[in-house]
Amino acid sequence: MKRPASRNLTLYLALALLAGLGAGLAYSWLISPVTYTDANPALLRADFKDQYRTVIAAAYAATRDLPSARARLQLLGDADPIGELSAQAQRMLAAGEPFENVQPLAQLAADLQQGFASIQTAKPPLTEIIQTPSAEVPVIETLPLTETPLAEETPVESTLAFEQTPLIPQNPLITSTPRPTVTAKPVIGQPFTLVGQDTVCDTSLKQGLLQVILMDNRRKQVSGMEITLTWNQGEDHFFTGFKPELGNGYADFIMQAETIYSVRIVEGGSFVPNITAPTCTAPDGSSYLGGLLLTFQQS
Amino acid sequence: MSANLIKIISAAIIGVALGILYGWVIDPVQFTNLTPNLLREDYRADYVLMVAEAYHGEINADLAARRLGVLSSEAPAILVAQTLAYAQANQFTQTETNLLQELLSAMQIYQPQNSANP
Repeated sequence: MKRPASRNLTLYLALALLAGLGAGLAYSWLISPVTYTDANPALLRADFKDQYRTVIAAAYAATRDLPSARARLQLLGDADPIGELSAQAQRMLAAGEPFENVQPLAQLAADLQQGFASIQTAKPPLTEIIQTPSAEVPVIETLPLTETPLAEETPVESTLAFEQTPLIPQNPLITSTPRPTVTAKPVIGQPFTLVGQDTVCDTSLKQGLLQVILMDNRRKQVSGMEITLTWNQGEDHFFTGFKPELGNGYADFIMQAETIYSVRIVEGGSFVPNITAPTCTAPDGSSYLGGLLLTFQQS
Repeated sequence: MSANLIKIISAAIIGVALGILYGWVIDPVQFTNLTPNLLREDYRADYVLMVAEAYHGEINADLAARRLGVLSSEAPAILVAQTLAYAQANQFTQTETNLLQELLSAMQIYQPQNSANP
């Protein structure tokens, strides 16, 4: 049997050890925790991840390098990169951002979904203004990246197609000029086909929100297109373009739970049956009625 | 008595050492909401390269500068110049280097819209 003095010493040693342990933990967790200086994008705050995705999509819009975009998205550690892109696009639309800002995200999501890069829309990076003595207005020469712009939207008198556009403008006259806005018109007779059907789980949106986006064959949104929605108790008609702040080709409808809808694009004949509002799970574990994003494009 | 005191102090020091070992090595604080300035250098370089690629398609210096501003409070031109040096030291392709050079040229003459001449 130990003496009381010896027992006290053991007790003091244990207490000193525990106190030291506590002090060490407090120092290493609270006072001077491990600092990250070599973080990876997966650890970024949600809003910075959104920014990262936006830049990935913008870079992709310029390069059409789908493998790079996919690899870059993987750095963010999203379980469903396509879903995250779509959800972010929806959040941006809901926040009132112009469709032009959202389009690269939607484009990248669509291309990832289909597995290949879609055809690049003509978007000349450099516009050269040359003053000519014979004309009062400057002649605009467009230097396309890889392809000649489509004839019907080219507001130029002459087009120079180079194999490779110089990366650094050498001419001091070269300046960036906004392109004229072209109102997209559907190509008559060309059917719209469903190119994207995405579940949208976003608590900031209305429950059961069915969003429809119609684009022409150059991926420009088209307005004034009639959409018919039918279900077993009724039918409704709505048109794209009534919410231009969300895009000229945008239209939406509130779906009811456990109701099966059919969507038909009146002009173009595309028909999508068996549309139902999905069930989503909120971060707190509760279920709520999610939305759907249907993207149609003319072939 | 002094020998006991030394033992107690030793025990406390051992405890502190164990605590720091646990808190720094075994189970360090996990950060999940980091800001981009903490990204590893190669990720930062890739981010700047993405901005350069996007700039090549958009030719929008203001947008490019704002995107770079997310990464660092440094002047965009300095940031791109650092990335260009990193690219040249790490065998980036010629195309990528050219894109960064193009962005650098734009950032060197870029004037924020807020500070434009009145």
